[in-house]
Amino acid sequence: MIWKLLRKHVSVTQLAGFALANIVGLTIVMLAVQMATDIRPVIEDEDSFLRRDYIVITRSVTTTGALMGSPTDFSAADVADIEAQPWCGRVGQFSASEFGVEATVGLGGSGHAMRTQFFFEAIPTDFIDVNSADWTFNPNRPEVPVIISRDYLSLYNFGFATTQGLPRISEGQMEMIPLQFTLSGNGLRETLNGRIVGFSTRLNTVIVPQDFMTWANNRYGDGNTQRPQRLIIESTSPGDVAIDQYMESHNYDVAGDKTNSSRAGHLLTVATGVVVAVGAVISLLAFFVLMLSIYLLLQKNVRKLQTLLLLGYSPAEVSAPYVKIVAGVNLAALVIAFAAVIAIRAWYMPTLRALGVDGGTITTALLCGIVIMTAISAGNIFAIRRRVAALWHG
Amino acid sequence: MDTIQFRRVLPHVFAGREDTGSEIWLREVNLQRGKRYLVDAQSGTGKSSMCSYIFGYRVDYSGTIAFDDVDTRQLSVARWCDIRQRHIAYLPQEMRLFPELTVLENINLKNRLTNHKTASQIADLLQCLGVEDKANSLVAHLSIGQQQRVAFVRTLCQPAEFYLLDEPVSHLDNENNSLIARLVSQEADALGAAIIVTSVGNHLNLNYDLTLKM
Repeated sequence: MIWKLLRKHVSVTQLAGFALANIVGLTIVMLAVQMATDIRPVIEDEDSFLRRDYIVITRSVTTTGALMGSPTDFSAADVADIEAQPWCGRVGQFSASEFGVEATVGLGGSGHAMRTQFFFEAIPTDFIDVNSADWTFNPNRPEVPVIISRDYLSLYNFGFATTQGLPRISEGQMEMIPLQFTLSGNGLRETLNGRIVGFSTRLNTVIVPQDFMTWANNRYGDGNTQRPQRLIIESTSPGDVAIDQYMESHNYDVAGDKTNSSRAGHLLTVATGVVVAVGAVISLLAFFVLMLSIYLLLQKNVRKLQTLLLLGYSPAEVSAPYVKIVAGVNLAALVIAFAAVIAIRAWYMPTLRALGVDGGTITTALLCGIVIMTAISAGNIFAIRRRVAALWHG
Repeated sequence: MDTIQFRRVLPHVFAGREDTGSEIWLREVNLQRGKRYLVDAQSGTGKSSMCSYIFGYRVDYSGTIAFDDVDTRQLSVARWCDIRQRHIAYLPQEMRLFPELTVLENINLKNRLTNHKTASQIADLLQCLGVEDKANSLVAHLSIGQQQRVAFVRTLCQPAEFYLLDEPVSHLDNENNSLIARLVSQEADALGAAIIVTSVGNHLNLNYDLTLKM
């Protein structure tokens, strides 16, 4: 009955205007946060299995160097020199396969299979951050887990698949594709099943567990152990300029150099910040529009509200219809804005998936929306309560 | 609540006056539960202000108004809500009905807070006062006299220790005056409540224990 009494001056147009402004502001904020969450992995190429303070290096390959027969591998002295640097923690050496590898990829139920010459490298297990259950090798039940470069997938998706009219595949699909490796050497030729456990942006190679490599090199290898072509270094002071200087002076290449991507990451942060700020300003304006609307409403109903207080209704009971309006409209705005974000995300995600990125979580954006909405509602409700309380003494 | 005490109360608007000639302003007055009081006032002497002060929605006065020795300025909002629902029943001179609601809706707006009267008791009261046929009419469509009777029924829809009636029969004839006097007396007797009536001429027909000149 209080609602019947107080609804008279409620302006649907004003509320709709507020809701619209709020939906726009909130959608912008949430979408910016969502897109930043989704796009950041593309730019920053976070590797789940390699910590950021690990550096993978190779020797630079130059034309003159190749002609002159300059070494492309690292000698024991090179390794010792790196280990002696103040910024260097541990150094791990990549070991290469000393036997022949052929990989066969079955393409689903089509019966087609792709076969290619292949190679393996391994690094000490303690440099790799991967579930140890996935990253072991048991000679009695041979199955080879591999981590491959994400570039290979991009090469397939954007080079091969696009031009040959084949379907693009995501990382998730790739991990389910049956793989077989045929290993040969020492007069043996055996086929083992393989499994992709992940993709790396910073390891530009095919990585297998060290214990598999040791086993396979013993079984198929000729015992002629090569010097490492790559090193993995744990840096004690990531970002140290001395590291760049050292690498440059020794003609070492750092794999998956972060300089460009960190610039892009910074730009993304700035762009996201600007968009979020615009959205926040719209939301803030919407907040004041609703505030104004509610104040006008309260002003028009002052006498009724005072009479209700005189009848013995509490300020909370008298505010309740307004609080419900605010909460209802704000909740609706949140739901609609969130739906809009999901819809827009569904539109851009296929493009990102083609880039091999599954996108981030939507929890962050939703949480952001909830926090903003709660703050706006709390502000509105606080103002209503205060206004009604001010009516207490005529 | 047994006593409403006035201790040298003076509306701000009369500030500076040493003697107002009033038996309430600037005096020590105790209004006791169970008694009948008439506040006989000239227009403009502050009787409606006095009601507002007692009912706690105006505080523009000096001195102290106390309920059982508790200064009413110290009462919390929650306590005031309780007082307005269960301890003091107030009929304002301007009635404060909602014209956009029906008679029954106006009455129920109060009664749903207190659950003091049943629907049939409310119907009986309306009938007794001759406005039962208006139960579902909008208050806006009622005459002032009819509105006064509806407002009176609403006032009875709560338990009380004090009935505070501000010119309750200013727009009523003698017959309705007596009806209202009888009904409020019955309620007050049943609850052991006091009745405080203000008037500028048309007194409610009660036997008063004390008449205070305002």
